[in-house]
Amino acid sequence: MSDGSAHGGMYGRGLRYLRARWRVLVRLGGWSVLETGQTFLTGYAPARALDEGFLAGRPGVGLGWLGVAGIGVLVGAFGTVRVYAGVAALVEPLRDVLVGRVVERGVREADAGALSGLTQQVEIARDTFAGLVMVSRSFVFTAVGAVVGLASLDPRLLLVVLPPLAAGLGLFAATLRPLARRQEEFLVADEALADGLGRVCPGLRDITAAGAEARVAGDTGRLVDTEQRAAYSLARWSVLRVASLALGGQLPIVLLLACAPWLLARGVTTGALVGALAYVTQSLLPALRNLVHGLGTSGSRLVVVLRRLVREPATAPAAGGQVVRREPHGAPPLPSRTGTPGPDDDGTYPAAPGMAAHPPAPALPGDRTDAQPADRHAGAAGHRLTPHTPAGPTDHGPGTRPAGADARPGTAPRPADRAPALSLTAVSFAYGPAATPVVDHLDLALPAGAHLAVVGPSGIGKSTLTALVAGLLRPTGGSIRLCGHPVPSPDAAALRVLIPQEAYVHTGTLAENLGHLRMDPVPEPELLAAAEAVGLAPLLEALGGPQASVDPAALSAGERQLVALTRAYLSYAPLVLLDEATCHLDPPAEERAERAFANRPGTTLVVVAHRISSARRAGRVLLMDGSRTAYGTHDELVRDSPAYRELVGGWSAVPPKRSEPALPLGDPDRVDAVAGPGLAGDRGHVVAHGPVRQAQVPGDLRDGGPLGREG
Amino acid sequence: MTTRTSPPAPHGLLGPAPARCVLLCLASTAATGAGLLLPAALGRTLDLLLAQAPATRWVLWCAGLVLLLALLDAAETVLGGTLDARTTAWLRRRLTAHVLAVGPRATARFGPGDLVARLVGNAAQAGTAPTARAALLAALAGPVGAVVALGLVSPWLAAVFLAGAPVLALLLRAFARDTRECVTRYQEVQGRIAQALSEAVGGHRTIRAAGTEDRETARILRPLPELSEAGHRMWRVQGRASGQSVAVAPLLQLGVLAVAGVLLARHRITVGEVLAASRYAVLATGVGVLVGQLSGLARARAAAGRLDEVLAEPAVRHGERGLPPGPGRLELRGVTALRGARAVLDGVDLVVPGGTTLAVVGRSGAGKSLLAAVAGRLVEPDAGEVLLDGVPLRELAHDELRRSIGYAFERPALLGGTVEEEIGLALPSPAPARVREAARTARADDFVRRLPSGYDTLVADAPRSGGESQRLGLARAFAHGGRLLILDDALSSLDTVTEARIADALVSGGAGGTRLLVAHRTATAARADAVAWLDGGRVRAVGPHEELWRLPEYRAVFGGGEDAADGGPA
Repeated sequence: MSDGSAHGGMYGRGLRYLRARWRVLVRLGGWSVLETGQTFLTGYAPARALDEGFLAGRPGVGLGWLGVAGIGVLVGAFGTVRVYAGVAALVEPLRDVLVGRVVERGVREADAGALSGLTQQVEIARDTFAGLVMVSRSFVFTAVGAVVGLASLDPRLLLVVLPPLAAGLGLFAATLRPLARRQEEFLVADEALADGLGRVCPGLRDITAAGAEARVAGDTGRLVDTEQRAAYSLARWSVLRVASLALGGQLPIVLLLACAPWLLARGVTTGALVGALAYVTQSLLPALRNLVHGLGTSGSRLVVVLRRLVREPATAPAAGGQVVRREPHGAPPLPSRTGTPGPDDDGTYPAAPGMAAHPPAPALPGDRTDAQPADRHAGAAGHRLTPHTPAGPTDHGPGTRPAGADARPGTAPRPADRAPALSLTAVSFAYGPAATPVVDHLDLALPAGAHLAVVGPSGIGKSTLTALVAGLLRPTGGSIRLCGHPVPSPDAAALRVLIPQEAYVHTGTLAENLGHLRMDPVPEPELLAAAEAVGLAPLLEALGGPQASVDPAALSAGERQLVALTRAYLSYAPLVLLDEATCHLDPPAEERAERAFANRPGTTLVVVAHRISSARRAGRVLLMDGSRTAYGTHDELVRDSPAYRELVGGWSAVPPKRSEPALPLGDPDRVDAVAGPGLAGDRGHVVAHGPVRQAQVPGDLRDGGPLGREG
Repeated sequence: MTTRTSPPAPHGLLGPAPARCVLLCLASTAATGAGLLLPAALGRTLDLLLAQAPATRWVLWCAGLVLLLALLDAAETVLGGTLDARTTAWLRRRLTAHVLAVGPRATARFGPGDLVARLVGNAAQAGTAPTARAALLAALAGPVGAVVALGLVSPWLAAVFLAGAPVLALLLRAFARDTRECVTRYQEVQGRIAQALSEAVGGHRTIRAAGTEDRETARILRPLPELSEAGHRMWRVQGRASGQSVAVAPLLQLGVLAVAGVLLARHRITVGEVLAASRYAVLATGVGVLVGQLSGLARARAAAGRLDEVLAEPAVRHGERGLPPGPGRLELRGVTALRGARAVLDGVDLVVPGGTTLAVVGRSGAGKSLLAAVAGRLVEPDAGEVLLDGVPLRELAHDELRRSIGYAFERPALLGGTVEEEIGLALPSPAPARVREAARTARADDFVRRLPSGYDTLVADAPRSGGESQRLGLARAFAHGGRLLILDDALSSLDTVTEARIADALVSGGAGGTRLLVAHRTATAARADAVAWLDGGRVRAVGPHEELWRLPEYRAVFGGGEDAADGGPA
């Protein structure tokens, strides 16, 4: 932890924060002056009361002076009331800033820890900051009041009181940093312990089952020991606080007495001596005690909490989409790997460096990395889609859509006219330098209007693929383009919409939820039409129309998915990524939703399939299965890919050991009729060489064409 | 079966370090005593000095008292801090050990979140109890001694103070009442923001893919001005309240001082006594400290009560027997297990021959998971007996029991170590080869190697789907080994292909051993040597899946899901 720079940055920011609020500081100072007045009277009034009143045989005058002190107390109390308002004006904006930061980071990084940050850490920061302001302000003004009072009683009193006070403050200042470090160590140890216990308690069943009680007790015991050691060290170091308190607050009492003969001989009155003792015991000592205790504990607590709250967001979104960093581990944000994993890997798994070392996708026997064939195919693909293809989003409901409403009016289509809707070139992705790539040199080109299903066993990287296309993850190698625009870029962001498995519905009206991806409110007829197309209409009616408010917790998972799907349907994005977005819908509802997107004008659809029926509806299928990646139509894959057959068999829930794959599932005649000579062999070759390059560019797409539009 | 290992509240009044506690009590009481002597000494010294009498001895007395106070303060600080830390650590060690000895019952009884709160927060609060008790005497002696001292200087002074004190108490109480309402309001707005944020965190993929982070942030922060308003109100109310209380103590002191002044003017007391009186008035208003101490002690006691509830939960007692060599024959004899008053398992008799695989099926709520838990003594049966190779489980030594029975669950709990540590949880010492072998069998090796640091990745940093977590749990069970392996729905989140591969490895895996699988899918049931069909807490039938499949009611167990459509034996 770069201690100095972190502190420096923090203090710099703190100063800027205070400088921006100088008016508040002035107001706070103004009201605090009343407190100074009260402190001044603490010693001055009794001194006068004694000298001119009670000792002079005029009790009335003495009572008068004490009455003045009483008024001073009341005025000071009024000042206290106003001081709180000033503190609020200083503290509440800080809280606002912190809440803003926490929310922003929570939204950006999906940091679940943001919630505890919001409800606990921000409040700790708020309380400790307020405490610090109160304590340090109070000390400054009390000290000023006492010093002025001592000076007006007799300046010589200052000679006795000030040196030890300064020495005490100096000692305190010198010990502030080591004390803060002990305090911080304690807080860190405490958090680590809380974190450890927070995992042990929910895991008791597993610990018991594994018979690992002793080990876990040992691990937890070590955390307890660390915390105890930190607390001991803190307690011992706190003695320094006592020392500075004794030096600055108690020593002046003794010195005043010791010097009393000298002072009295030089005309210091009895009252002044009593007043001086009152200043020391009643004002300076308590204020110093508050400062020493308050600044020592709250100060370091605030620094720790603030550092946590305002820490810079993760440097790169390399893994921000999925990897939720937990603070206690202090795991550094994963760096965005733009190159291939280095050769410095430990070599335990030769696969990792070995595979990554391959040059980007050696060209295929054909020339299919070129976009041209894809377009050729697009031309032949679907009668319904063809006219829309080149224009993409612009011809999508031109009547209802003001051109200005779009974030990238008119810019997208021009360079994209001839580019595929989605193209991946030698795309690789790994979660870390030592990790085996999830996606390894994947090439893929989807013409506009295509409908692709991505299938494969769970955890194989299908969602990683959509996350890459959606810009949530950055590839570690290769490039992704949407209609010719590189990912990530604002242009590309406007061209795609991702509907993940966990549908996002927020508290608010249904219309707000559905119009989430549009800048302006969606006209109601368009909204209703979309709801009808996707299958949301019954829910929309049941809830009471678009203006009804929605409680996400009251909706079923399937209903939430329908809302998210309709929202995506209403967006202007031509590329739609459904990542198991229909998994909570029943098969007919799923089919309806998928067909709605397939029929949505100008739409290129990528579906991470939850059921095999999705794959059968799609024109093309990309099978991801580690080394066995294959691409083609459903029927082709059934014919050529054992892995796909196994998956289809599994999906139909027939135990594989007892069943032959249900071949042919598709329409064999059509496959035979369109498959060009040699194509099947080509694909078989591709599968056989899987380990070299995970996936292949689409086969000659003419064969897929006629099958592409089943829906 | 189970026993109360520890009676509640064994931590005595003085905690685990009674000597330190007594020392602390002595130190703080002595400090209070010195603090009470000091004003009198100061007054006496002042009088001597004003009379220009020799006062060196008295000045030295005062200096000695001040030094003593500082030393005692230092001792108090160290003793108090270390006593708190030691008591808290002692409580936490004891509680952790006890909770681990109680096992899953503790989580079932209190809930994991509450249990953590007790071990973390309540233990820290309860840990301050000895310190609070030790300081109590001093906190009481301070104000009482000061009032007595006032009375010794002059009864009038004590009378003035005691007359004014009730006002102080009333105003302090007004403070507590006032703030609560606006705190509630503040928390309510805060809750709304937190709710919106938690929704957005759940939908982050949608938001980030659409690039609408800024709009979402702005939307979530919409109630912020309300929060700010509520916050300002809290400060205003607090300011008013403390404005009142801040004035009370000084006014009380001034009142005492005024009476002392009048007495001085009448030569009833000396200047030094006036000085002493004003100090005693200050010390006497320290009664607020006593109130704070008392409420602190009350909090500590309440926390200790919550810890006692945990400690009162009986720990599991183990026998000392070992297992004879055997194939892992599992036998349940008349096993009954209650949940509340309901018998979830009702006299279950079941034998799983050594080396075979038994699938347990049944509708949800039929008691499958409880059966799986009872079979490996994660849960104690309320009646009946479970035997492994002829030995009752409760007579087995702890290590023998756990070594022999491995578990995998539907949702494995991961404890926050590296992937390697998670998989090797049950292994007494690190065994990388065994961990990797187990991961391969559980089909987890592939995705583990894709993690940022492979097997050294912290699980918290590993992006995991439900299926991936489940495979880590399976790998843990495979690494664990043992003659009985119990899979409690541990394949449910896997795709059918992966499930089939793992199930094949399980059934045909050469190591032998007995397997008990809680299953929802027909494919899993079909793979097992036999199926136990649970219904209403009883075993309705045991037999091969193919035979049972003829019964319509058995088929109905598998519900109307995808599986059922064509799930029969092909």
